[in-house]
Amino acid sequence: MSQAPKHKSSAQSNPLFELGKERLELIGKHADALMQGYLEGQVNELAFSQQALQKLLDSRILFYPQEQSLSLRPIVNELIASLTLDERKRQINTDVGEHLDQIDTRVQSLQAARKKGDYAASEHHMQLLIERVNDMTGQFGDAIESLWHRLNTEFGFVSSLDDKILEIELAQRQLRRILDGFGIINFDDLIQLAGSDGALRKLLVSQLQARISEHSGSLLEVQKRLVLLMARFRQQQDRALLINRMAAFLRQHPNFQIGDYPNRSQVPAVINQAHGISPQAFVALDRARDSNTLAELARAVPREPEQASQSDKQNEGFVMAVQNLVATQQKQLAKDVEDFFIRVIEGPEALSGVDYLAEQVLPWEPEMWLFQIVAEYQGLPEHNKHSFMLEKDSAQQSRFNQLHIIQDVKVGMRFSDDYQAAE
Amino acid sequence: MIEHGPLLERLLEGEFICSITDEHSFHKLQNDELVNDLNHFLRPLNRRVAKNDDGSVYFLAYCDLTQNARQHLSHQFASTVQSLLPMLEWMQLVQEALGRDGALNAGDTIKLQDFESKVVDNQSLIHRLAHLANDRVFKSTSDKPDMQIKQVFKRIKEMGYLHQPHKDRLFYIVTGKVEQLIELVRFIKDEENLPIDDATPEQEAMF
Repeated sequence: MSQAPKHKSSAQSNPLFELGKERLELIGKHADALMQGYLEGQVNELAFSQQALQKLLDSRILFYPQEQSLSLRPIVNELIASLTLDERKRQINTDVGEHLDQIDTRVQSLQAARKKGDYAASEHHMQLLIERVNDMTGQFGDAIESLWHRLNTEFGFVSSLDDKILEIELAQRQLRRILDGFGIINFDDLIQLAGSDGALRKLLVSQLQARISEHSGSLLEVQKRLVLLMARFRQQQDRALLINRMAAFLRQHPNFQIGDYPNRSQVPAVINQAHGISPQAFVALDRARDSNTLAELARAVPREPEQASQSDKQNEGFVMAVQNLVATQQKQLAKDVEDFFIRVIEGPEALSGVDYLAEQVLPWEPEMWLFQIVAEYQGLPEHNKHSFMLEKDSAQQSRFNQLHIIQDVKVGMRFSDDYQAAE
Repeated sequence: MIEHGPLLERLLEGEFICSITDEHSFHKLQNDELVNDLNHFLRPLNRRVAKNDDGSVYFLAYCDLTQNARQHLSHQFASTVQSLLPMLEWMQLVQEALGRDGALNAGDTIKLQDFESKVVDNQSLIHRLAHLANDRVFKSTSDKPDMQIKQVFKRIKEMGYLHQPHKDRLFYIVTGKVEQLIELVRFIKDEENLPIDDATPEQEAMF
């Protein structure tokens, strides 16, 4: 490329110059229709005038692969894909053998021209040779760049996970082929080919070797990343499948019984999750140095609720004197039952309700008394209920119905090995 | 130990700690020495710091499987199993509605508004949402999709599978506890030899 300015005038005099320029301009002129054709896979004939169409066909931009179907030539397709980094259509060309053959031929022509002392011809062959080598390394560079681009966008040009996995597999095969291509390049042969010519040696050996080793490093990194990405996609796919299949299975088997893992001798780690305990603390007055803080806290407590409850009581006093009497009795009964429960908690063994009633000489009818005990027990919060054992001493009243009459209840503590009974 | 008080308290309360719910504590827990100290403290409470297979979430497990511990595990396992299908269906619903490639992962962000607009656009998704919201795990009584979505996400947040970084903003992040759930699903599948490994949908239909 550095030689381009030197050859500028001679390049312009080359007949190829005008023709190539004209054709590139032709592509630019019909860019809209050509891009449309690129994206749709088919070019609409009617977009061009008869004359323009003929020009495009003559310029080897369009062709008819089959009758009635106008398309971009593959090479134009490839050009656009490469320019736009369109990974759906971008092709990776890894044919190294062809390049090596051409290099070999060029070198021989070059040496023949030198022997003849034809300076102009040898210059020309040298230029072609440089281009050929650049083409080859550039081709690898493009391929690697395309792989990187696909990696970095996480194969975003296809939408489904399955397609992405297929694309990675494709990329891995392409990578393999590039590496195989590197393998074909035999530097011993190239050294021999270059002989004692310094310029050739530099071009064919040192420069090429540097580029290839740079590419190899890059490829190794791509390979690593591809494997990682593949693992991630596979894991995601696996997870989605697991969820879908398990959900389908559970829907189809609504009565499916899962094993009783918590009670196996070996409890699997995945279900061993301790229940939560919330550590609580309360106001304590046994430490003098806290009293100031506590007093401040107490002063900060809002007062309104207290007043409200007082006025409630006053209203009640006037309106519901009779109900209050009943309520008082009810409260007394509840309090006695509460005392009974406290006794149960304190005592070592289960206590009979009837015995307690007699022992304490309480004024309640046994039936009412027992009912209240059962009601109190049932009314306990679920976690407290577990702490007690309530045993009903009942007998069937008649063979002809299911009526049971409770004669006594026994309440005892359910002893558990630690405070965890609270849950 | 004093500076780890809040962390201990959260663990004791039964929280799952992952990089999404509390990144700072999560990093602390990756230090084995600290975990040893915590375990020493937790020993009398019959608890130890545990983590899931890939170490993405920490929680407390029982040291000794006493009768009480087992009783609690049974209770908890039963409720997890009960919420299993609804949770899986929810994950499928989110994945499909948001057009994601793979299943939900810890760290995925769900914007409620996005989710809602996708769901109301699709009759079949509306139907599935309603079915899900009616499940006894979510207990939604509303027949409006937006209320159903709110209720479902609220419940899942309560169960610890979602983290809501800002109280008043309706976006959620999937927590590491989801990984634990997936591990459980995989475990159940293997342990019960469920015929769902290679079965194609047609084969499944025959069971």
